[in-house]
Amino acid sequence: MFGPAELISQLLVGISRSMILFIVCAGLSFVLGVLRVPNIAHGSLYMIGAFTTFSITKMFAGSAGFWIALIVAPLLVAVVSLVAERALFCHLYEREHLMLLLFTFAISLILGDLVKIVWGAEYKSVSAPALLKGSISLFGASFPRYNLFLILVGPLVAIAIWLFTNKTKIGKISRAAAVDREMVGVLGINVSWVFAIAFVIGCYLAGVGGALVAPTVSITLGMDHTLIIEAFLIVIIGGLGNMWGALVGSLIFGITHSFGVLFWPQFAIVFPYIAVVIVLLLRPKGLLKSVW
Amino acid sequence: MKRILSVRSFVFIACTLALSIMLYPAGTRAQAPIKVGIIDTYSGPPTTFTYDVRDAFKLAIDEVNAKGGVLKRKIEFTTRDDKFKVDVCLSMAKELIMMEKVDILMGTINSAGTLAVSEYCKTEKIPFIVTFSKSEKITGEKGHRYVFSVTENTAMIGKAAAAGLAKRPFVKYWIAGDDYEYGHALADGVWNNLKKLKSGVELIGQSWWKVGEPDLTPYLTAISTAKPDAVIFATGAASMVNAMKFAKATGFAEKIPMFIHTATELSTLAPLGLDAPEKVIGTSNYHFYYPDTPKNKAFAKAFKDAYGREPKVGALYGYLAAQFITKALEKAGTMDREKFIDALGGLKVDSPIGEIEMRAFDHQAMLPMYMGMTKKVAEYPFLIATDIVTIPGKDVMPSIEDIKKARGQ
Repeated sequence: MFGPAELISQLLVGISRSMILFIVCAGLSFVLGVLRVPNIAHGSLYMIGAFTTFSITKMFAGSAGFWIALIVAPLLVAVVSLVAERALFCHLYEREHLMLLLFTFAISLILGDLVKIVWGAEYKSVSAPALLKGSISLFGASFPRYNLFLILVGPLVAIAIWLFTNKTKIGKISRAAAVDREMVGVLGINVSWVFAIAFVIGCYLAGVGGALVAPTVSITLGMDHTLIIEAFLIVIIGGLGNMWGALVGSLIFGITHSFGVLFWPQFAIVFPYIAVVIVLLLRPKGLLKSVW
Repeated sequence: MKRILSVRSFVFIACTLALSIMLYPAGTRAQAPIKVGIIDTYSGPPTTFTYDVRDAFKLAIDEVNAKGGVLKRKIEFTTRDDKFKVDVCLSMAKELIMMEKVDILMGTINSAGTLAVSEYCKTEKIPFIVTFSKSEKITGEKGHRYVFSVTENTAMIGKAAAAGLAKRPFVKYWIAGDDYEYGHALADGVWNNLKKLKSGVELIGQSWWKVGEPDLTPYLTAISTAKPDAVIFATGAASMVNAMKFAKATGFAEKIPMFIHTATELSTLAPLGLDAPEKVIGTSNYHFYYPDTPKNKAFAKAFKDAYGREPKVGALYGYLAAQFITKALEKAGTMDREKFIDALGGLKVDSPIGEIEMRAFDHQAMLPMYMGMTKKVAEYPFLIATDIVTIPGKDVMPSIEDIKKARGQ
């Protein structure tokens, strides 16, 4: 019924969607791992990343705007998150999870309203840069160039995160803090700043996700809530705080969805969730090792 | 002792006093404004549509008031934000009726909220003019004496789309859309009418995504492998822009003809700029550039001068609401609600798209539908509709028999 061309192109579509999910989820998972904060406002930062990308692309003519936005928008999101961390989050790390959940939910509502005040309620749209517009023919099926770009960017981000956590001092300290934060404090390291940096890096990734997703969707209020539910599911099935878990979870989510659409389009919505249920039944603590 | 006043003169004075007291407020009431209450969603994404309704209504009302109002009274309006929530919508309606004591109610964009307010207006006997909700139940199954609609509904969209599509050579169709009431109602409307108009059409598959689905690429690539002749998209506001964007990015729009209701409407095309795909078939009640008549040009210019943007479809609804209210008041000669309703049923008013009749039987405005195709033009930074075919209001309206059947009469 479906030729190999269709299957491959559908697989690639699934993988490209997974890459954006992975970048956002890696950030969420990192914050969960190091700070133990289930940050619902992570989705709002992703939304801010997308809206900022829109504003920056409007400032520059042609394709340059998008490339500049890809660098600048996540940095702006990082600045927002640094302010939020120093002003609010840093006082609350010792609170119980339910409290943090409610707190970050409140922050997400506040950020949502701020976005509405700054950008208004209208839909926004960003063009893909000229280089990545249109589609290419892949084994006879057409495939959007931008999705191909996403498939290339995803692994690069994964490598960058791996290098950061394994090869840099601050990355190693963050990992250590994730496992035993008291011990890190005893060693004379300023845990408060380690947490701040870890938080900002996690949020920076949300910004990268927002900037990357901008050309593929209509940028609108509410895009944060759609994403954050999926992101939490992915982080849970992958294993809390595990970056590779976020990658595996995202791939499961993205690929089951795209094949679901191909084989049983009327019920495609449920496939990723069925996958989540199966994973949680078989491995309640997630597929890979959780740091919790 | 001599009485100062005779009994007769006492009674006369007392009666005069009582009469003047009774008449005094009535005298001031004649000068008091006619109050219209608008409940609509003034926060979140639906504002793309609702602001135009409100702004065009204000423009038309300002014009009426500048000429001294209607029945020598000014028209005044007050707005409430329902936040797209049914419960808020209903409590705002109650507040406007009980506290603000509005004479006429208007709104909303949320069909469920509209149906709730409509039921309340029925018991309170308050005229309610629906401006954007698309459920055909509003003036169909759940219609009553006190509710009127100046916007299209899913039954009308279905009939118009089917009439337009039946003339095209497509046989094998695919339906794709947002998995919620509006999406399914729209798809059923189009498909059931199309089957009646053209025998042999075949539905080879369907895809339904969750409302707000961010990535439609897997759906579109899957649909293109099935190779339908055309795809009917049943998408609501937010997914519309997404569907158009993905159709362009995946090259889908070039390969497979697509029909999307309101794909040709400015609300969809303006945010996309020049990124919208060409040759998408769409329907809409209004374009600021079509029909190319002096009346429409003047309306579009007045709106743009006032608000700095081109009017979208909501502006037509806002303008129509204002026209129907003022003309019905003039015809009734009083702000008596029952007489206002009698006057409004069957009333014809002038509009930027020509004369529009409020059908007396179901209180549904008989709006024509314009079917066109998206195209890039040099004049605008967004695509517009071309090759426009007008499907007249009478061909779009559900039949009175259908309405009677829906109401179980």
